[in-house]
Amino acid sequence: MTVSMNRRSLLAAMSAAAATSAGPVFGQARGEQILVVMWGAQWIEVCRPIGEEWLRATGDRVQWELHAGGAMGIVGRMRPQFPRIQQNLVAAWDPVFDAMIEADWLEPVSETEMPALKEIPEIFFKKDKQGRKVTVPLSTAGAFWGYRTDLLDKPLENIEQLLEPRFKGKLCVPVPVNLSGLLMVSLAIQRGGNERNIEPGWQFLKELAQRGNIGRVVANNSEMINAMSQGDLSVAFWNTGGWQAVSQRFPTRLLTRLNDNKGFLFNEGFVVMKGDNPAKIAAAKRFANHFATAEINTRYNMPLGSGPTNVNSKPADAIKDIFYNAEELAKYAYIPDYSYMSSQVDAWTRRWETEITPLVRQG
Amino acid sequence: MKRLPIAVWLIVPGAAALVFLMGGPVAVLTIDSLRPYIPGSIRAGEGYTFANYLELAKPAYFNYAYETFRIGLIVSAFSVAMGAPLAYVAVRSKRAAVRKGLLTLLVGLLVMSLIARLYAIEMTWGTHGPLAFIGAFVSGLAPRSPRYAEVLVAIGLMHFTIPIVALMLVGAFRALSPRLEEAAASLGATRSEAILTVVLPLAAPAMVSAYLVSLAMCISNFVAPLLLGRGVVVFTTNLMYTRFSDIGNYQAGAAIGVFMLIASFAVVYGLATIAKKLLPSVVPTR
Repeated sequence: MTVSMNRRSLLAAMSAAAATSAGPVFGQARGEQILVVMWGAQWIEVCRPIGEEWLRATGDRVQWELHAGGAMGIVGRMRPQFPRIQQNLVAAWDPVFDAMIEADWLEPVSETEMPALKEIPEIFFKKDKQGRKVTVPLSTAGAFWGYRTDLLDKPLENIEQLLEPRFKGKLCVPVPVNLSGLLMVSLAIQRGGNERNIEPGWQFLKELAQRGNIGRVVANNSEMINAMSQGDLSVAFWNTGGWQAVSQRFPTRLLTRLNDNKGFLFNEGFVVMKGDNPAKIAAAKRFANHFATAEINTRYNMPLGSGPTNVNSKPADAIKDIFYNAEELAKYAYIPDYSYMSSQVDAWTRRWETEITPLVRQG
Repeated sequence: MKRLPIAVWLIVPGAAALVFLMGGPVAVLTIDSLRPYIPGSIRAGEGYTFANYLELAKPAYFNYAYETFRIGLIVSAFSVAMGAPLAYVAVRSKRAAVRKGLLTLLVGLLVMSLIARLYAIEMTWGTHGPLAFIGAFVSGLAPRSPRYAEVLVAIGLMHFTIPIVALMLVGAFRALSPRLEEAAASLGATRSEAILTVVLPLAAPAMVSAYLVSLAMCISNFVAPLLLGRGVVVFTTNLMYTRFSDIGNYQAGAAIGVFMLIASFAVVYGLATIAKKLLPSVVPTR
């Protein structure tokens, strides 16, 4: 007797085996359909096959919705509908989690229902006002300055160098709503400020814009990847996912260890949305738990250039340079107050619109 | 019991649709625009305020509105200038293949995927596009300069407006009897003189209407500046989107929406009034 096994059937069998071995709630297949919000670009590319395998293994169907722009946008879109929202599971990051926790939109999660959470260190979780875990941390990601080494004659070693004429029209930067204003925080740190003393950052940003060095303002991962792939922009401030995609096509260097600046770390993951359909909530928890298992957590983070959160996952070799050991963490990394930043995004956006965009437009 | 005239019954569905589909959302928008925004919170604050409107009095926001209308006015002028000859040929050409081909092209442009069109423009006219040199020559801007995004946005908008303008004018030119041109020719006018002195003045009201429709399409457009504006050509619609979608500040977004609604009505009314004065003999007046 011969047994034929192809890649898909093997993956389906592995998913099924993982599903049935992980715990009673996780293993239950109900044939529910859930709506999951995910980022585009390589995020959705890695997630779609996982969702298809999950359907074959459990019968739960996953419908994907993509973030339009920054993840904070989903908060604005769900606001008028809540609690009658269609979304069951939302991929987001720290500032978005804070806004959702403040609004009490999130379903608590527990190791009892989601056994894979036991393998994620406590420090990664966000908790609600009652102290219950409400996030499913999947990745540790970062935002850094970086550049394409094939487009610069001499290396960029210091953020102040970005004011030099050689960078005229060469910088690709995010709008303030993206990365919740980390760009301004980075520039503020360069001039002795931080997220609560942001003024030095605005002054630096104005200098960059006045000199015509900001060539492109981007609002999402795809725009950043496209902009940095065209060859007319050489330097950007963006997240590890975007940089990972650019580095697969072009030689890049991330400035993760600057003596007078910092790299920014944050967590990404899922949140289960409150709703009036317990079956869908349970299905969302099953799927989020699946992503938190060591195998899927490794697979999810590998193409994103992010660090996995499950202690049994394996980080990609390519990201070893990005992430810090304990000593480096204190020296080179900075974890800002994302809650405070998310409360400032509106004011920062207005300031960007009134002070920066007109300068950038003049070129 | 007195029976309502048939005209009233006929107008009821449309009026009801206007009230519920437009009046309702505008009323909600107006109320929301007067509510205070609490930074960092998803909920609106208590009470009412004009702060969301006062914010728009800043010169920078005036400039966004000005740029939106400026680009819209220019694009609409180009659209009428290019759409009118297309429409005329689509109606008057002696070759049926030309007439059918042009109409098919105009309708085809309308049904083509919007996103595909805009990305195709970026690929063709963008920094490294094969036609970027034409855009640079005409605008006098380097393709990699931020201001060149205006050229891209204008081309993107014309992809929407030229087919609409041309199709609107097809009806207008069809309604004009070709015998008028023949009469002009019999009196010694050349073809171009007949078009300039007979056809265009008679088609002027339709061209004004097409211009205003094009302007309305431009100033309410959101996707073209979003995809082609490189983050520096920002229309008021993009400001609204940022507030509604990215920040969750519905109150400020609503204020921009109400302001733009009033400004658009004022500009369209103003332009229609100017057109009436400039073309008193051809623009119908009551």
